[in-house]
Amino acid sequence: MPESAWGWLIVVYLFLAGSGSGAFLAAVYCDLLAPDWSKSLARAGSLVSGPLVTIGTICLVLDLEAGLWEPWRQIYLAKNLSSMIAWGVIILSGFIPVALLYAAALNEITFVGKIARKYIRIIEYVGSALAVATATYTGVLIAVVNGVPFWNTPVMPVLFLASAISTGLAAAMIVAAIIDASTIKTLSNFALGHVIFLAIEALVLMLLVFMSLTRSTEAAISANMLISGVLSPYFWVLVVLLGILIPFILSIVEYYEYGEMPKSLVIGSDLLVLMGGMSLRALIIFSASPPQII
Amino acid sequence: MPRFGIAIDATKCIGCHSCRVACQNQNGLEFTETFNWIKDKERGKYPSYDKEYVPLQCNHCGNAPCERVCPTGATYTTPEGVVLVNKKTCVGCKYCMEACPYKMRIILHKAGIVVKCRLCIEMVREGGTPACVTTCPTQVRIFGDLDDPNSEISRFIAESGAEPLRKDLGTLPHIYYKRS
Repeated sequence: MPESAWGWLIVVYLFLAGSGSGAFLAAVYCDLLAPDWSKSLARAGSLVSGPLVTIGTICLVLDLEAGLWEPWRQIYLAKNLSSMIAWGVIILSGFIPVALLYAAALNEITFVGKIARKYIRIIEYVGSALAVATATYTGVLIAVVNGVPFWNTPVMPVLFLASAISTGLAAAMIVAAIIDASTIKTLSNFALGHVIFLAIEALVLMLLVFMSLTRSTEAAISANMLISGVLSPYFWVLVVLLGILIPFILSIVEYYEYGEMPKSLVIGSDLLVLMGGMSLRALIIFSASPPQII
Repeated sequence: MPRFGIAIDATKCIGCHSCRVACQNQNGLEFTETFNWIKDKERGKYPSYDKEYVPLQCNHCGNAPCERVCPTGATYTTPEGVVLVNKKTCVGCKYCMEACPYKMRIILHKAGIVVKCRLCIEMVREGGTPACVTTCPTQVRIFGDLDDPNSEISRFIAESGAEPLRKDLGTLPHIYYKRS
């Protein structure tokens, strides 16, 4: 009996779709609420969002088998609307073009961007809805699976959304620091975003683990795998310590030091958030444990 | 229209895997690929020790999680209550394999599609019985119409109190088990 059907390609997809939609939300937030002093971050967020989600979607397609070699089979993908994959196909086909258009509009790339610039508010509102849908759907995708009791909880989409926003913000901040070195000081304002969303992520993750320990035998097997079993070194070091705790502390320092923190630490903390988001998804997928049937 | 199912008397199973071989033969599968498994479960403690064999296959659920999650609609239920996969529209996304609580589906990497027990539907429609049922030396399996109260399978279920595996999951399986 096959134990797990999904592997690294799905993990990478879940991570990239999450961080891509998070980066979009970060960009829109900056452009709407602080357009004058956070231009670099808005531009960086809009530039990474579309490509990240596109690469993620390519991973998703590469994970198909018959649908990859005989691509015309993919026209059936949105046929059964009770499947979350069908909804994902619909959401992604909406979000990817809007995200790429937003990058063009905000950075005024080509004439398309110049025209789209006039409708930037509409793109921002529609895109934000689609970004939230993308990030949440990646969680719902696995939360509706009753073949894996550990995933089968409404907490999962909340965790994925929180993680998407913190990883998206991290991706946008790294690119902002690269395209505009002088922006490092203004980035400190957004460290507060990390503090808030990493805290939410940590709380929801704690909730998931504690609930799973008592929800069912199989969910407890998965949760124990994470906190004390074979996956526990990865969970405590990569997710909890390096992915949440250290960036959380660094972000508090960054916020209060206001621009005095070395650039390497700012970028380093964002890289840790990205690594933590990726590890979190990998561990959730790989800790899957099926119901005990006999 | 009948509603097909199988009743499995696990107390008679000797774990010989004839059903697996017959199934592979019937479906042209390699020796590593199969639609049915025999899992064993140890019971008791030495010296009063016992081992139970439980033959497993697709449960042809009345409320199939695999069918619900299939994006292309490749997984469908026939009027006889048999869950099948359409080879032409399956894309190999493996969502159904994750969704199946019994983990009774496999992917054939050569064909790129997900496959599973078909209850030998073409033989059954011609009045036959599935290969795993006819081949079993100890006659563990009883095949028949679950909706006919006078069929052998319905009487067996009524007499032995056979139940589906993990009834609590709400999947309404068509495979019933008598376990000691």
